[in-house]
Amino acid sequence: MAGAATWTTSLHAQKLAMPVIGYLCAESPELFASRLKAFHQGLGEAGFVEGRNVAILYQWAEGRYTQLPALAANLVARNVDVVVAPGGAEVALAVKAAGASNAIVFEMGGDPVQLGVVDSLRRPGGNITGVSSLSVDVSPKRLELMHELLPTAAKLAVVANPTSPTANSQLQKLRSAAETLGVHLQVLNASTEKEFEPIFSTAAQEASGLVFTSDPYFAFRSRGLAELAMKYRVPAITQSRDFPAAGGLMSYGGDFAQSHRRAGMYVGRILKGEKPSDLPVQLVTKVEFIINVKAAKLLGREFSPSLVSGADEVIE
Amino acid sequence: MQFLTSFVLVPAMIVRERFRGLFQKYLLVLFMAVAIPLAINGIVEAWFGYRDQRARLDQLLGVQATSAAAEIHDFIYGITNQLGWLVQVPWSDEPDERRRTEALRLFRQAPAIVSLALLDNRGLERLYVSRIGLNRIESRTDRSADPAVIGARSGQVWFSDVSYHRGSEPRLTVAVVGNRPSVGVVIAEVNLKLIWDVISAIKVGKTGFAFVLDRPGRLIAHPDISLVLRGAEEATSKPFRAIRDAIGPAGSGFATSRDVHGHEVAAVAAPVAGPDWTVVVEQPLAEAYAPIYAVLWRTVALLAGGTILAALLAYALAHRMTEPIRVLEEGTERIGAGSFDHRISIETGDEFQRLANSFNKMAAELALGQEHQERIAKLKRFLAPQVADLVDRAGDDSVLDGRRAEVVVIFCDLRGFTAFSAALAPEEVMNVLSEYYEVLGKAITQFEATLISFSGDGLMVLVNAPVPVEEPALRAVDLAVEMQKSVQRLIAGWRSRGYQVGFGIGLASGAATVGRIGYASRFDYTAIGSVVNLAARLCASAADREILIDSEVAECVRGKRFLVELGDRQIKGFDEAIPVFGISFDTPIADGKLRRPG
Repeated sequence: MAGAATWTTSLHAQKLAMPVIGYLCAESPELFASRLKAFHQGLGEAGFVEGRNVAILYQWAEGRYTQLPALAANLVARNVDVVVAPGGAEVALAVKAAGASNAIVFEMGGDPVQLGVVDSLRRPGGNITGVSSLSVDVSPKRLELMHELLPTAAKLAVVANPTSPTANSQLQKLRSAAETLGVHLQVLNASTEKEFEPIFSTAAQEASGLVFTSDPYFAFRSRGLAELAMKYRVPAITQSRDFPAAGGLMSYGGDFAQSHRRAGMYVGRILKGEKPSDLPVQLVTKVEFIINVKAAKLLGREFSPSLVSGADEVIE
Repeated sequence: MQFLTSFVLVPAMIVRERFRGLFQKYLLVLFMAVAIPLAINGIVEAWFGYRDQRARLDQLLGVQATSAAAEIHDFIYGITNQLGWLVQVPWSDEPDERRRTEALRLFRQAPAIVSLALLDNRGLERLYVSRIGLNRIESRTDRSADPAVIGARSGQVWFSDVSYHRGSEPRLTVAVVGNRPSVGVVIAEVNLKLIWDVISAIKVGKTGFAFVLDRPGRLIAHPDISLVLRGAEEATSKPFRAIRDAIGPAGSGFATSRDVHGHEVAAVAAPVAGPDWTVVVEQPLAEAYAPIYAVLWRTVALLAGGTILAALLAYALAHRMTEPIRVLEEGTERIGAGSFDHRISIETGDEFQRLANSFNKMAAELALGQEHQERIAKLKRFLAPQVADLVDRAGDDSVLDGRRAEVVVIFCDLRGFTAFSAALAPEEVMNVLSEYYEVLGKAITQFEATLISFSGDGLMVLVNAPVPVEEPALRAVDLAVEMQKSVQRLIAGWRSRGYQVGFGIGLASGAATVGRIGYASRFDYTAIGSVVNLAARLCASAADREILIDSEVAECVRGKRFLVELGDRQIKGFDEAIPVFGISFDTPIADGKLRRPG
């Protein structure tokens, strides 16, 4: 009896001694599974395995981005060792706004300096660092690719999420790019799933191509977007490779597997005692271009040789 | 005996005093004999081991550095080679869609290339493609004054200084020209962060690694990407530059310096030609020297073990060498103390054993000597000294064994001594007896007769036993005469003092059983037989100044000494009367009828 009691106590103590990661996610575990896997891989490379030498406390917003500040505050209050804010600027900003004294590691597509999350890439300052996938920066490239696919189109539609902190900067860059490319830009807004279908129907009627800005809300709903794109026979490009994989036409964006893995490695290093301020913000080195030839056929389009040769992956 | 004891004991004491010194000397000498060569061997081995290990480390780190530099070189030149494919065909004035396709394909193949620009032979930008920014086709911007273009034209391949994108990511601009001016120039921006794949794969020993510095000494590649991303900062690059600067010219071996954490490292550098970078491989000194330490520890352990072994060996050998001396010492002491039966047991098969054997022999001889002395002493008690010596010289006392022998037995005693002794003080009696035996003893010794026993004033003497003599009867008669003469001179003195004492002797010859009788160390030589009784009876019947002999003795001395026939006498213990003769001691050489003295 006494032995059992001691064992229970020591197990309890062991659990207490184990560092705890607070993982705040705007989406559901199902949608985030591939990202979480990459994160665990990075954590493992730094020597941490969940349940063995690190515990992870998850907070899932299930797509309700407005819940993020409350969940962030919840994690901060739980006094976890590191708060992980993956999957977008909204999450990072929510955690930072919660006034956490805990270390914070973000993973986002935007520019953390521009968003005011860090002081500089080299010296992030404070208790926060992370990885940027460059997806936000490459929004104009998506417009360029769509323009290359539809060189004769005079007007292209851009979809933005007005609730996104990066929406304005992306639109600004896109407008400037449209000018360079000599196309007219039509801006469409969507911040809920309900707004997706009207966008596609509008695009089907008015414009010949849809360019999605970088936004996690869009990225995690690639399947729905791909289905709508096919339904309305609209050529579309998003940031996530999930889109062409689900039957969409093409995607151009940072390699999320790399960004989440690096975030995991940074979390591991912080758990080992390094200070976030000593860890420069990393930029993803790989921006991938994926095309779906089958989707193109269904849409009655054809990729130019330069597009095909420039594609990192061609889905046939 | 006393002399012998002191002879042995004194050296024994000296030996004991020297014993400890000798043991220590042996111990020291033997220990040194083993330990010194061992130590020299150990030190020499450690020294050569150290040198070999250092040379090996030099070689190892040198090879590592060269191979690391080769890998970095391959990384860079892999990119320039691929860029070279873009400058193969001369430019026309038309837009070249094929080149764009090739450029985009190159993007896929060379992930480190961030952007690239293709310039025609006039230095006009014909194509610009980027992973992040918008592409430019036929912008025809004049870039002929671009240092990349000028540099590439003068050397086919040109590398810029490393720049840090947004102050963090190290980037390099590479420009390549074709083999003729008409093919133009390609300028590419390379993200050096991707060297990480190469640099992190380079392992030096267990924890050693490689890093790359550009010409001014800024960190551009390191397994820890976070350091590279801060490479533009002086504080980040300084410790790495210090390591590079500590390394001398190539071939001078590895240098030791301190890393970021202040740990000592062994480092070797190798240049990367082209961009003019330096690859440094470093290994923690503790790890690099681990084999050296292992060699040293092994040597120390061997030395310690060897020393202990040497000590044990020296102790054992010294003990082995001094132990016989101790045994010798102990043995001599015991022999000195009189234990002649003690034997020193040393089975070393060397001089010690020989010495021990000598001691044993000496002890045996001493024992023999002592035995001899004791035997002589015993023999002398009843034998004449000359006889005793004779017996002793013969080396065996079998002459004393019991046997039948023809002997002449002489008995003599004083007449009237009982009354005489009663009247005297005991001291006087003893003095008288001393004088008496003195003269008798002298006579017995002179005639080599055997004294058998004393009792009071009488004594028994044997002639012809145990040692046979020539003419025993004659000798016995002469002895008796001498005894009578000597004692009568004494008696004359005693008479003058008023004591009435006489002296008579009886002799008889015949066969008797002679031999030793007694027990333990107390034994006598004696004769048993009727001849002894006869001699005793004759003595008893002899008057003062009378020497009575039996017929046998008389027959032997007849014609040689003056015999007096006294006729047959009835002797107690004998059934018939026997003929008795007398010897006149006043006229030694005469023959004729005995005249009984008045």
